[in-house]
Amino acid sequence: MAVNGTPSPFVTLVSSDGFEFHVRRSAACVSATIRRMLDMQNNFSEAQTGICHLENISGIVLEKVVEYFYYNEKHRNSEGVPDMDFPSELCLELLMAADYLIT
Amino acid sequence: MNATVGQCEATRRAAALNRIRGPQSALTDFLASHNISAAQIHLDHQRRIQEHEQRQQEQNAGNAEDDNADAAGEDEEDPVERQKRKRKEEKTLMKIKQSKEFKKRKFEQKKEHGSDTEMDDDELARSMLAKSKPLPGQLDNCDICEKRFTVTPYSKTGPDGGLLCAKCSKELKDEEKKDAQANKKRASAPRGRRRQTESDRLMGDVKPGAKSLVDICVRRVANVVHDIDEFGDMPQSVLDRLSQILSKQRVLTPRVLELFLRPDIDRIDIYDCGKLEQEDFQKIFAYMPDVKFVNLRFAGQMKDGPMLYMVDKCKKIRHLQLGAANLVTDEAWLQMFQKLGPQLESLKLSELNDALGDDMVEELVKNCQNLKRLKLRSCSHMGEASVDALCALTKLEHLTLAVAQQETSAATLVKLITALGRNLRTLCLEDYPELDDSVLEAIKNHCNKLTKLRIRGTSPCSDAAFACIFDNNSGNPPLVYADLSDNRDMDNMNPEGPQDNPIGLGSAALEALMKHSGERLERLNLKSCRHISHDALINVFDGVKQYPELKDIDLSFVTQVDDVVMNGIFKSCPALAKLAVFACFNARQARIPAGIAVVGLPNAQDSIVVGGALNDW
Repeated sequence: MAVNGTPSPFVTLVSSDGFEFHVRRSAACVSATIRRMLDMQNNFSEAQTGICHLENISGIVLEKVVEYFYYNEKHRNSEGVPDMDFPSELCLELLMAADYLIT
Repeated sequence: MNATVGQCEATRRAAALNRIRGPQSALTDFLASHNISAAQIHLDHQRRIQEHEQRQQEQNAGNAEDDNADAAGEDEEDPVERQKRKRKEEKTLMKIKQSKEFKKRKFEQKKEHGSDTEMDDDELARSMLAKSKPLPGQLDNCDICEKRFTVTPYSKTGPDGGLLCAKCSKELKDEEKKDAQANKKRASAPRGRRRQTESDRLMGDVKPGAKSLVDICVRRVANVVHDIDEFGDMPQSVLDRLSQILSKQRVLTPRVLELFLRPDIDRIDIYDCGKLEQEDFQKIFAYMPDVKFVNLRFAGQMKDGPMLYMVDKCKKIRHLQLGAANLVTDEAWLQMFQKLGPQLESLKLSELNDALGDDMVEELVKNCQNLKRLKLRSCSHMGEASVDALCALTKLEHLTLAVAQQETSAATLVKLITALGRNLRTLCLEDYPELDDSVLEAIKNHCNKLTKLRIRGTSPCSDAAFACIFDNNSGNPPLVYADLSDNRDMDNMNPEGPQDNPIGLGSAALEALMKHSGERLERLNLKSCRHISHDALINVFDGVKQYPELKDIDLSFVTQVDDVVMNGIFKSCPALAKLAVFACFNARQARIPAGIAVVGLPNAQDSIVVGGALNDW
């Protein structure tokens, strides 16, 4: 929330079925799409409120996406990082979400 | 206690006396006939619970307990049993008193309370007995579910130190097993990953950090592709990547192909059609009549039928790429050129050993006048006449010719370049042994828009002629892609080549090229250009001159490359992602910055360990 010019270090991601995820801003910005949504210069409502409504991503998938955000941030500078594990049933939906979020 | 027992007695008596009963179920009757009474069982159970509670209270009360109370509590017990138990208890107490643990505790207590507090030995032993675990065969309450159970040697210890019943023990054991398995998996993961990491490194991907989520998902989808019924609205770029991975894994079967058939998209890319048969090809064109881009490689089982069906059905094809379609006859090719030719913008044919001779190429040229992009690679029936015929395709912007076996004279190539040069943005001439200085000069004079140049496998060209192409006076734009590999002198008797007039791409040409195109150059392939001198390499990659776009360099078999040159390359090319140095035996000590994939070093295992941050060499 950009009340005093300094944005909050946390943002809220809302899934299509209404689940809210409070995520560290730096982690959420792993996604280029969210990064642009939150960029003050683009003046989107997301940047002003700090809330991103992701209408095409369900809560289950968004949970995994958020997990990946933190996973990516944690391993930013390490070598030979193992792939994050997730249930195979989710892989198609997760792929679509990742493609949308440019992650 | 007495009251309870009395009550119990009274009920029993009542049951015996009162013979008048209401209606009973068959089961109750049957049980009664065997002297079993549900009421009795219930009462006994209640009594046991009460007894147990009482005993626990007594234990909690600790020192309030004395022999009298004990005796009173067990009033109704068989005196023999009582004696036995007492003896047993005394025995255990004795044992405890003799144990080291007991002595230690006694010592500690004495130290704490001083000599004034006379702690009874018996008392201390009893408190230890309460804490000690029951032996197998005895009853205890489970630590987790609090159920009463018989202790066995296999009873597990719970999280709080108490014993667990059989069910909880089993659950705990299962959990431990699962944990152990997970640990095992975690431990063995790096071994499997090692291979993947190495494979990625050869592809030039050693960026630190996790792979992108899209990448992880695509790989996972490729692994479970046989369980997938439909891809849904998969974006084109992802479909293409999936097709690449599945083709590489050789699992592109007819069943998998169906996942890629979508009438709503206008392109189909299958990189390995080896497992597809006639009807599968036909199916592609039946499902996707509006297709514009067709790319089918290793289409060995494609015959005239599907080809003619495609010509008939798919009227919108603009880009056609077919690999190894060797069962397609000349008649079918002719039909294709005649019907689709005028609309084709790009045509790429490769590995054709049985069709497409000079006369067919003439038909191609006659019908496909709008071609902007043409690639003919390893079409073994094409000869000099074909190259000559191609001069008529004046709209070409991208031309790749790699014709196996048939030799083409330099004069014909000069004619081709003179005719097409001014529009060409890509020119690739591979394995023309006759290609000489006159062709290079023609390239310099006529190809004024070139951004991608590949001249591979010549031997008569001189260093000076190569340098001439990149003369800054020519006014030609800088190259983005330069592949000048395998240009060297082929005289076995004189491996150094002639000194006064160097043959092949040498020092002068390299310096001219980098001066001319260094600003924009992204890919540079100088494999086997073994006449490049060490001085020239040092001069070009001196760490001061910067090549901001250069991402991919191949210097394999350029034996002059050493650690100094490599360090210079790392400093001069800030965007470098991949460097191939096969057979560069002088370069083995260079520190490789993180994020750059160096392949081909003799000590492949060591080079995995790379220097930390980018600026730390």
